Amino acid sequence: MNAPASRRGLFMRARIVMLATLLGCGAGAVVYRAWDLQVRRADTLRGMAEEQYLRDVALAPKRGTIYDRDGAELAVSVDADSVWGNPLAIKKAGQDARAIASHLAPLLGLDVEVLAQRLSSERHFVWVKRRVTPAQGKAVRALHLPGIAISEEARRFYPNRELAAHVLGFANVDGVGIEGLELALEDKLRGPRHTIPAVLDRRGEIVFSQQLLDERNAQGDEVTLTIDKTLQYLAERELELAVRTSEARAGSLVLIEPSSGEILAMANYPTFNPNEPNRSSNTDRRNRAITDRFEPGSTIKPFTVSGALAAGAVSPTQIIDCENGAVRVAEYTIHDSHHFQLLTPAQVLAVSSNIGAAKIGLALGRAGLYRAFTRFGLGERTGVELPGETAGILRHYKRWYDMDAATIAFGQGVSVTALQLAMGLGAIANKGRLMQPQIIKRIVDGHGEVVQAATPHVRRQVIPENVARLVSDMLVAVTEPGGTAVEAAIPGYLVAGKTGTAQKADYVHGGYADNKWMSSFVGYAPAQAPRLLAAVVLDEPMIAHQGGSVAAPVFRRVMGAALRHLGVPGDNAGALAEQAAPRKGDASKSVAAAVVAQALTAAAPSEPSLAAGEVLVPSVLGQSARQAISALHQAELDVRVQGTGLVSAQEPAAASVAQRGAQVSLRLSPPSADGSLPASTAKATTPAAAAATTSEAAPTLPQPARELIAVARPGGHDG
Amino acid sequence: MGMLGNMFSSARPAEGNVRVRRSTPTEERPREADSDRKSRDGERKTTAPAAAAATKPAKAVKHPEVTGPADAVLSATVITLVAFGIVMVYSASAVFAHQRFGSGQYFLIRQSIFAVLGLCVMVVTASIDYHKLRALTYPFLLTALALLLVTAVGFGHAAGGAARWISVGPIHIQPAEIVKVAMICWLAYSLSKKTERIRSFSVGFLPHVLGAGVVMILCLKQPDFGSAVMIGLITFFMLFTAGARLGYILGAGMLALPMVYYLVAGSEYRMRRITAFLSPFQYRHSAGYQIAESLMSFGAGGTTGVGIGDSHQKLLFLPEAHTDFISAIIGEELGFLGFLAMVAAFLLLVVRGLRAAFTAVDEYGTYLAVGITLFLGTQAFTNLAVAVGLLPTKGLVLPFISYGGSSLLVNCLAVGLLLNVSRPRVGAVVSAGESSRAFGGVA
Repeated sequence: MNAPASRRGLFMRARIVMLATLLGCGAGAVVYRAWDLQVRRADTLRGMAEEQYLRDVALAPKRGTIYDRDGAELAVSVDADSVWGNPLAIKKAGQDARAIASHLAPLLGLDVEVLAQRLSSERHFVWVKRRVTPAQGKAVRALHLPGIAISEEARRFYPNRELAAHVLGFANVDGVGIEGLELALEDKLRGPRHTIPAVLDRRGEIVFSQQLLDERNAQGDEVTLTIDKTLQYLAERELELAVRTSEARAGSLVLIEPSSGEILAMANYPTFNPNEPNRSSNTDRRNRAITDRFEPGSTIKPFTVSGALAAGAVSPTQIIDCENGAVRVAEYTIHDSHHFQLLTPAQVLAVSSNIGAAKIGLALGRAGLYRAFTRFGLGERTGVELPGETAGILRHYKRWYDMDAATIAFGQGVSVTALQLAMGLGAIANKGRLMQPQIIKRIVDGHGEVVQAATPHVRRQVIPENVARLVSDMLVAVTEPGGTAVEAAIPGYLVAGKTGTAQKADYVHGGYADNKWMSSFVGYAPAQAPRLLAAVVLDEPMIAHQGGSVAAPVFRRVMGAALRHLGVPGDNAGALAEQAAPRKGDASKSVAAAVVAQALTAAAPSEPSLAAGEVLVPSVLGQSARQAISALHQAELDVRVQGTGLVSAQEPAAASVAQRGAQVSLRLSPPSADGSLPASTAKATTPAAAAATTSEAAPTLPQPARELIAVARPGGHDG
Repeated sequence: MGMLGNMFSSARPAEGNVRVRRSTPTEERPREADSDRKSRDGERKTTAPAAAAATKPAKAVKHPEVTGPADAVLSATVITLVAFGIVMVYSASAVFAHQRFGSGQYFLIRQSIFAVLGLCVMVVTASIDYHKLRALTYPFLLTALALLLVTAVGFGHAAGGAARWISVGPIHIQPAEIVKVAMICWLAYSLSKKTERIRSFSVGFLPHVLGAGVVMILCLKQPDFGSAVMIGLITFFMLFTAGARLGYILGAGMLALPMVYYLVAGSEYRMRRITAFLSPFQYRHSAGYQIAESLMSFGAGGTTGVGIGDSHQKLLFLPEAHTDFISAIIGEELGFLGFLAMVAAFLLLVVRGLRAAFTAVDEYGTYLAVGITLFLGTQAFTNLAVAVGLLPTKGLVLPFISYGGSSLLVNCLAVGLLLNVSRPRVGAVVSAGESSRAFGGVA
């Protein structure tokens, strides 16, 4: 072609140029099309592309832990292996689903046939078994079966099994709260289910996210309950024992701190293991303390008496004719189990006279009784943050039948829950203030910020403080000799409380069943400075049915142990009298003192007093506060207690001579780890040494050095 | 680039020193192979192939003298494309490679090795005068056909639904890629021999069409529709260039149409490709998936692209992202401007290739250059047209850029020949004289 002049060469060049032009046209078309796609339609196409790779990926937050009030874990989330299969991949790999199933099934405790069928389905994903044990997961991994894979899933685990099961409830296999606090606090425990934009590949796996993952954002709130694990355990153990020994159908126990409304324990029996909720029946899983209402019977009488005293319908010293055990109201006859003639309101409570309560109720009047009960929180939910709470039934007084004003006054024709009962009596224990029950002490989010903290909330002043104190003093007589609940008395402490023995309504035949009872006891201690309050309810106990003989012992054991656990110093009747004495001049308080004195004389004959003059101070070193107080009371000495634990120092020293009624100061320190007494014990024999001990012992106290001061004097009813 | 240019130019004097010979047409003895034609056309003389020269060592060598280096612009363009290809193959394949082979560099390493080998092949084929390589036409073609036959009858290594590979240890050879270049060499060789008789049906047209037909059928047998079409196109392009009667070409095209229709309509997957091509987004989740993803890739790139390495479509969304559809990833990562630059590079390659065709000392060189240039250009723009949705999916790779050892090596070989042709030559006695005479004569 070096001869461009030739025609053939020219034509050839022309043809080549034609082909090149053709190619150029092709290139032009491609470029135009590229412009069309990349410039003109770029936004649309980019949107389509982004739609498939940009996803808002939902983070699976770690469900928050539930702790008891001291930080012990009650419900935690742990990672567990879940085995799944890809049936289509198995098929594609030419593997036999049945062979794989025969390998897997025995390992995981599954049925071979069912598994083989599941692995033969036309799907890309089937669960084989979720949340297997670590050993099973390891074994499955070791098999290296085609189309079988393991992924990690969070599993809710309740390390204490049945402990507080009804309070905690449980979460299902997907980590969604189904019952109890797991349900009530679902939103908080689950954590913020926020999503982050992330780039996915075609398999749907996150390639990278455009946002840094903040672990703390993917964390459910941590919940601390007011429940005390030890007390809860105690309550459950004693309740179960009582239900079993009395052959009752069921039982509930609520332990609260009346001053704050905090629930320290809430036990029910029968119970269940929240780790395996499916193995229990619905009835076992019911938190009876708040879901089951029952006719309280006599345990409601304190409310009747309080209402009547507050309204001035009855005076504390008024004598009520109890008609020797039977009285007709309307066309019905009310009976007392024992026959009484003339009783003061205090004695009505102490001996639990129905007739007396009915007469007090009638004196208060329908509207007054209804108002008093509603103010004690009957007929309305307590507002505890637990799901399924019932309000009980308190009909409006306008719909009461003629007899109702009388029977409702002693607890028939009205129904309550164990928690309502506890909170109501808590108002009497707490200077007339009805508290809001608290189950959640604190909720802390993933960043450590407190999002919710329990603060004592007074719902209302139900009765004046002086009336509350008066009734409280009356209730002490119940647990003293001559009262209906001597079984509830706790050595070293004054216990105020009330029994209840109610016939259950017979829904088949109408009226009340003769042989079905609800036995209850609700009380608190120490009566003078109430720290704890417990309500015990037993449903249909068969061995015995009196609240005083069935429920009261449960109360005593739980309350006694709880007081010791918390190191609550005791009080006694002597202190009561001493405190009441200076209040003379104040009409109501002098009345109170008189009532108390009356109650005390009625309740217990005074013991022979020791010889006047000097007494020998006994050694109480190494003893518990209760033992020491008891011993010093025996010696007719006053006691002043400081700190918690065991007595590490006493002043005056042992074997010294003191005036009868003189004060003995005790310094208490927690026992050291090896169980031996604090080293300072031996030294604490002189005032100077005691002072030194005090100063050096103080910093070692684990708890805030709260001063526990109990003023005690010898009294008639000591342990 | 400069280095390569220097290498080529430094090769020249050495060769020139040894090979400076001048021969006249009268000195040349007609070859046995051409004896029949020579008897009819006495004035026609052909350059003796190297093989023939080897058998007759005494005979004078009649090749034109190489006087200059190969086209530096052309070699620079090709090397740029290959280097760019390595980068883009890595970018497009890393995710897939990591998922499939556990190493993101799997394709990067292989493509780099092929690129080095390819450049070696290119240098070698550019260095040895193509007139001497002419003797290897038939061995090359027959080897390629044999390999193609092996895959066609079913010894091939199946991948992607078609048996297009022969496995030799860890290497997969794709005979269809080799046979394309072998066909170009053969056509150039044959057409340059036919000269004016190209216009005749029996001598100029039929043998080439039949030869191409056999190769196409072998390709279709694999099945490799894209390669068959490519070979058909190249054959027609070269016949047209050589001056075959347009009527024959059009007639053959007409005849081929029903066959194409039969092939397409008779094959379910080709029909699917057509429907997918016509409305990719309607079949976005079935047959049109790949093309729809490709279009989205281009769109996502916009004018300036998302940046190299930042493609999202390569996250397994776009199938064959590092092979047939690598241009979609290029479009996404470098945008319209990057795509335009790449098209410009290919156009430059075509222009420089045709320049080599125009300056070739003889018809053989011209045909070789035209064939190779149009093959590379057509394959490139067909691939791009498929990627942007202008043509149905064919399974053609983008020359120099797509991942693929066979294709890269063979394309480098072809460019080596093109560079070879592009070298300025003087005193192309036989060829030039023959050409002048041929051009001057009237058939």
